[in-house]
Amino acid sequence: MSFTQIHAQPGRAAVWTLSWFLFAAGITGYFWTSKQRHLENPDDRVMPTLRQMGQAISEAALKPAEDDEVAAGADTQSWAAKINHSMLWKDTQATGRRFILSMALLIPAVLLGLHMGMFPYVGAFFLRFVLFFDKIVALSLLPILFIAFGIDELAKVMLIVIGVAPTIILDAFNLTRGVPREQIVKGFTLGASDFSVTYRIVLKQIWPRVLNSIRLNLKAVMLFLFAGEMIASTDGLAYRIALLRRHMGMDTIIPYVLWVALLLFLVDLSMRVLNKRLHPWFQEA
Amino acid sequence: MAATQVTLSESAAPVTSTPAAMIRIQDVYVEYGQAGKVAKRVLNGISLDITPGEFISVVGQTGCGKSTLLRLVLAEEMPASGQVLVEGSPRMQPDRRCGYVPQKYSLFPDRTVLENITFGLEVTEIGLLGGLIPSRRARRKAFRSEALSSLRRMGLRESDARKYPHQLSGGMQQRVAIAQALIMRPKILLMDEAFSALDPGTRLGMQRLIKTLWRETGTTILFVTHNPREAVTLATRVIALGRPDASDDGAEVILDLAVPQTDDEDRVSGLIRRIEETTFPHGMKHDDESESPEV
Repeated sequence: MSFTQIHAQPGRAAVWTLSWFLFAAGITGYFWTSKQRHLENPDDRVMPTLRQMGQAISEAALKPAEDDEVAAGADTQSWAAKINHSMLWKDTQATGRRFILSMALLIPAVLLGLHMGMFPYVGAFFLRFVLFFDKIVALSLLPILFIAFGIDELAKVMLIVIGVAPTIILDAFNLTRGVPREQIVKGFTLGASDFSVTYRIVLKQIWPRVLNSIRLNLKAVMLFLFAGEMIASTDGLAYRIALLRRHMGMDTIIPYVLWVALLLFLVDLSMRVLNKRLHPWFQEA
Repeated sequence: MAATQVTLSESAAPVTSTPAAMIRIQDVYVEYGQAGKVAKRVLNGISLDITPGEFISVVGQTGCGKSTLLRLVLAEEMPASGQVLVEGSPRMQPDRRCGYVPQKYSLFPDRTVLENITFGLEVTEIGLLGGLIPSRRARRKAFRSEALSSLRRMGLRESDARKYPHQLSGGMQQRVAIAQALIMRPKILLMDEAFSALDPGTRLGMQRLIKTLWRETGTTILFVTHNPREAVTLATRVIALGRPDASDDGAEVILDLAVPQTDDEDRVSGLIRRIEETTFPHGMKHDDESESPEV
């Protein structure tokens, strides 16, 4: 059977090779081009070599940040202490703090969507407004947010909430409406109250799908977070990338971008594992 | 067109109106439609009295309003005019007086079999945080043991208690759904095409089970089916809905038959023929004729 056919069945080795091929090709292509550029111009800063990137990331991850107060005697510190005072760790902490706060603020969005789907008057009150709000390009609100909330944390968190919350609200609303009516009726016939039907039947059933929806919106959360940090911030991963761009610091920018991708991948993975552990019925369904 | 009322046995339930009706449906009209459009009438002046302990089968062609009638009794739907009284009072939404076993989505997919059966007891007797109170924890244990014995009565094994609904066959799921409904001791059990999706063998077993449970508990059962044989073999009374003269006025009660509790196959076949001729005058698809009528 030809490998171009729909019914082709690639073996494990073939799947493994194919799935890593583009990574290998990309990495090889980069370093080959980088080497060529450095042969032509040893001071090239557009495509740093592996050694340059290793040196830059080592400085970012192991040397104290410029504004760190415990800089004195840093060389004698343990690895953990060095990392703790490093620029990369401090930036990661700042971005992580905003990320976690934004994710926490999405919980009310889920609950609002749930109530809109369950209670017709709540739905009638909010639905049109949320549908309209969902169409507003969140980034276009940036100036308004900075004027209204200043350039502190609140503006950045609000940007994320405004950018992602309507999608999550509408997702939760649609998932709630998608719960078969029979389940709700069944709940009432078993003596459940409105509260019990909403939280013990419907929320429990939509929760794994809501987690999936949040997981799929992680990139949007990071997009708005990065936009906020790049424009108005004094720390954070995106702030650092924007700052280094001015100095053509590609040797640090590229590892930073890969670090962000790795972090996002890990968050996505842990959410998937958590979802699977918490809802075995959903995974097997 | 007036309903044809026939009593074939002295022992069968009387069809005439009684003051002690468990369910009273009075001149009910149901219409569906959007604003600005002509409403489509589904039920056209239905009146029925159902006495406690009756086993009623509602038959009729697809789309004739059988399930609508059941939803009216559930209080899941309200009539355009007329009223539906359960134990003499109208209701605004479904409650635990009526147990409900639908054809699909009859179990909560996120709960194990045991949790499905005990859900009603837990939600009414224990509450959300009740598990933290020691005395209620003991009651929860009692509920679980009651659920397990109910599970065995339904012909399921204790090892099935830990399974999720999707790990059970269709017949097993419906057995659990019946156990889930009956553990709340409802006065009325509403079953909407509950056995329609089952294969003939499983369906026969379910018919036997529900008949036994009805005899033991005396629960009033309203059983919606499109299968005249199933209707006759199960019920003490069969109500057929249909549109007289193929009009667009919505369905009426076109047949109201008391069914004798007999093993006489000729009488049973005669009744089935009668229902088929009245309800399906242009013939019907016998999609599950292979079933034995013995229940």
